[in-house]
Amino acid sequence: MSILQTSPGIKRAVLMAAGAVTAPGPALAHASEQGFVLLLPTGLYSLAGAACVALTVLLLAVLPDRALGRLFRPLPLLRARGGALHPWTSGVAFLLLLALLWAGWAGSRDPMENPLPLAVWTLWWVGLVTLQGVFGDLWAWINPWRGPVALTRRWLGARPLLRLPARLGHGPAIATFLGFAALLMADPAPTDPGRLAGFVGGYWLVTYLALLVFGPRWSHRGDGISVLMRSYGRLGLFGRRRGRLALGLTGWQALGRRAPPLGLAVFYLLMLGSGSFDGLNETFWWLARLGINPLEFPGRSAVVAQNLAGLLAANAALIAAYALAIRLGLRLTGSAMPLAAAFRLFAPSILPIALGYHIAHYLPSFLVDGQYALAAASDPLARGDDLLGLGRFYVTTGFFNTPGTVRAIWLSQAGAVVLGHVLAVVLAHVLAVRAFGPGRRATRSQAPLALFMVLYTLFGLWLLASPRGV
Amino acid sequence: MTTRPKTPAGPTRRAALKTLAAGAGAMSLPLWARYAQAQSAEPIRIGFQVHRTGIGAAYGRWYDRTTEAAVQRINAAGGINGRMVEIVAEDDGTDPKRGAEVVEKFANQHGCDVGYGTLFSHVVMGSAPRAGELRLPYFVVSEGHHVASGALNRWTLQPGITDVKSQVLSMAPWVTQNLGKKVTMIFPDYAFGHDHRDYFTQGVEAAGGEVLAQIAIPPTETSFTRHFAKIPRETEVVYHVMVGPAVLTFVKEMGEFFGPSRPEIFGFIDSLEAVDLASPGLEFLEGTYFWEGNPRYAQPDQSEFDRAFRDAVGVDPNGASVSDPTDVSTYGHMFGCWETLYVIKAGMEAAGYRGPEDRAALIEACEAITDMPHSDEHPQGAKIFNGRTHQVFGHQYISRVDGGKLVVVHRTSIEDTFYPDEVDYTAQPL
Repeated sequence: MSILQTSPGIKRAVLMAAGAVTAPGPALAHASEQGFVLLLPTGLYSLAGAACVALTVLLLAVLPDRALGRLFRPLPLLRARGGALHPWTSGVAFLLLLALLWAGWAGSRDPMENPLPLAVWTLWWVGLVTLQGVFGDLWAWINPWRGPVALTRRWLGARPLLRLPARLGHGPAIATFLGFAALLMADPAPTDPGRLAGFVGGYWLVTYLALLVFGPRWSHRGDGISVLMRSYGRLGLFGRRRGRLALGLTGWQALGRRAPPLGLAVFYLLMLGSGSFDGLNETFWWLARLGINPLEFPGRSAVVAQNLAGLLAANAALIAAYALAIRLGLRLTGSAMPLAAAFRLFAPSILPIALGYHIAHYLPSFLVDGQYALAAASDPLARGDDLLGLGRFYVTTGFFNTPGTVRAIWLSQAGAVVLGHVLAVVLAHVLAVRAFGPGRRATRSQAPLALFMVLYTLFGLWLLASPRGV
Repeated sequence: MTTRPKTPAGPTRRAALKTLAAGAGAMSLPLWARYAQAQSAEPIRIGFQVHRTGIGAAYGRWYDRTTEAAVQRINAAGGINGRMVEIVAEDDGTDPKRGAEVVEKFANQHGCDVGYGTLFSHVVMGSAPRAGELRLPYFVVSEGHHVASGALNRWTLQPGITDVKSQVLSMAPWVTQNLGKKVTMIFPDYAFGHDHRDYFTQGVEAAGGEVLAQIAIPPTETSFTRHFAKIPRETEVVYHVMVGPAVLTFVKEMGEFFGPSRPEIFGFIDSLEAVDLASPGLEFLEGTYFWEGNPRYAQPDQSEFDRAFRDAVGVDPNGASVSDPTDVSTYGHMFGCWETLYVIKAGMEAAGYRGPEDRAALIEACEAITDMPHSDEHPQGAKIFNGRTHQVFGHQYISRVDGGKLVVVHRTSIEDTFYPDEVDYTAQPL
């Protein structure tokens, strides 16, 4: 509008032209789901959720630390051999990926009918990431590189050609993950089947070549997707311990390991920061910052730069806030532990928050897109098949239209956020006890971090309750 | 990044419908026609610009469902000029820039004969210029006044749904005569709300009424009570057109503000499209009035055409999906897809359309269309198409909320919706 105000003469002419050009039709922003959420007492719910996390903090201060340690002791199950089958299952996953890529290029142009966007965004990014975080490392079985790389090596008899420089640390993984987050949040058309096929195919090829050149180190420090999956996998209930499959409370695997290197600790924070921004960038609040009317959102292509800047700024702000909380904790205990060491020590406690928010953020869209995925699975070639016997199948969003179901969905989302934070607080406390010994010192050391987590609970719930314009 | 598929549309579920229908259609044709069909086995490709993602997705889902149902019916009856119809759906993300790209793909990559189906006005505004440059007939289903205002071009038409200007203007006489002459308007403070403000004020004044106050609500507002205090005491009718996620809060707070003694209330169903009016919190709407583009609830005098339309799309007498009674459709708008596809069919048949070389002839044939009788092809009601302004005009409905359902109390004549032409697209070169 400022341009229009430069010259009165021009202003008038331009306004007249604009009047003709912007003659609007209906503004049909969808009222249903968000409408009912706005009628819920979400403020009250959010306070209750934050109080839950705060109570956990208080409880931890009085509970005997030994009991807490026991909480995370895993239960050994069957004896399990290492991943001998992984290259084979990975090979199958790779063939499936090829089929999906073909569908992306040659199949229906409709992203809700084409299996590629549904498989990538609904089944993998929402569904599998959730299962990985809840249950454990499923990705080891189905990552689409392991088999092809093993096969190539066998054929060529080649060993890794170069050593991934140690000074790069987790830098390449951070870069590729941020690239992925940018695609998710700032690309104008991430669900376009052809465009997505280009991205997925390109990423597969680059990663495949990097794995051949650098060996498995690329998977641990270069491939952001695998690092993300492995990080969530460490959160899972199931893991391996002393040659056995074991079952334990979320976080037990992370506690059984040394503190992550600094790059990986930063990566954990980026997982949370990017996820939070994915919610923030849809809110009325954020759109108002950009000067955009949320009721006539101009589309993703109008906010590419803003979302990229926001993604980086949100992550920087989160890292700064977390580092500040850690630093205050160190000061409160008078500990000589360097900031970087404490930063690394507590970083795994961020993971349950990231997972909780991931589940909460995507639950509503999963309920809808999951149906499209089901329909596409029943008719993968989009030629009228009905392999699953669904009959006349209509996707429904009726559950967004009744107060009861909207409340159930919202409380499930809120539950995931609160549970994530409760687990985070408990994990942080156990880590503090390990580092600073039992008693008051440990409690004091992570008091600022606990406060940060209570506030972040409020923030996460506010994101879920906020009106959205995208 | 998008690569051209080997076959322009790729195999689609819609193509399968086409194939199924082809058999049935061919069986019913005389021998010579079957021969002619075999000569031109290439389908008619209709590029469907659908809001699959973005703010229009909830509408896109119903536009898609209606489109599939219409194409299935068209193909079952032999297609267009003996050729099957194939829908090539591309998501525009409810994004004007992508809209233009999608139009380009229709013309240059997918070999589409026409583009069709756009709902959101800003996407229409972003796409139509490109359609004009590419000389691609572009049939929008948007309800916007942009077509008839003269802002677009000769290649863009809106033959299946009436525009907001005619809707609003035709409401004013009935509102002033039946609900009250002193009106207060509440609308969102941006172009959509301003259109309602300007057209309705004009209509009320012409009908001898008076707009006492125009209350503009900032688009990001989520609490409204302070605005209700601005409603003048002598107000006889409140006219509201709020949209967006805060609509339910708006209704609830308006109910709390007025209590049992309220003025008459008139709104546009756009506010509550796809929302069940029997929802808790909306009790206050009982006895209030709404404009409807097409009555959501099957009326006692329901036409056989409306019944057939509901059956084909899978919508029950309450306007909800037959597979889920809580899944309320966008019934007030989606008939526009059905009717537009039948206009494309009529236009192509009149023009003897064979392929892209006949696109100009298709535009001229559509411009020559005038009367559209109430029929299976036009289940919302009879219409009159204005070839000069490329805009269709039709009946509008006023319904009263009665027992949580909308009951039609008035149907305007088509003539009630007319206003002077603002453009003559036929004067533009093809």
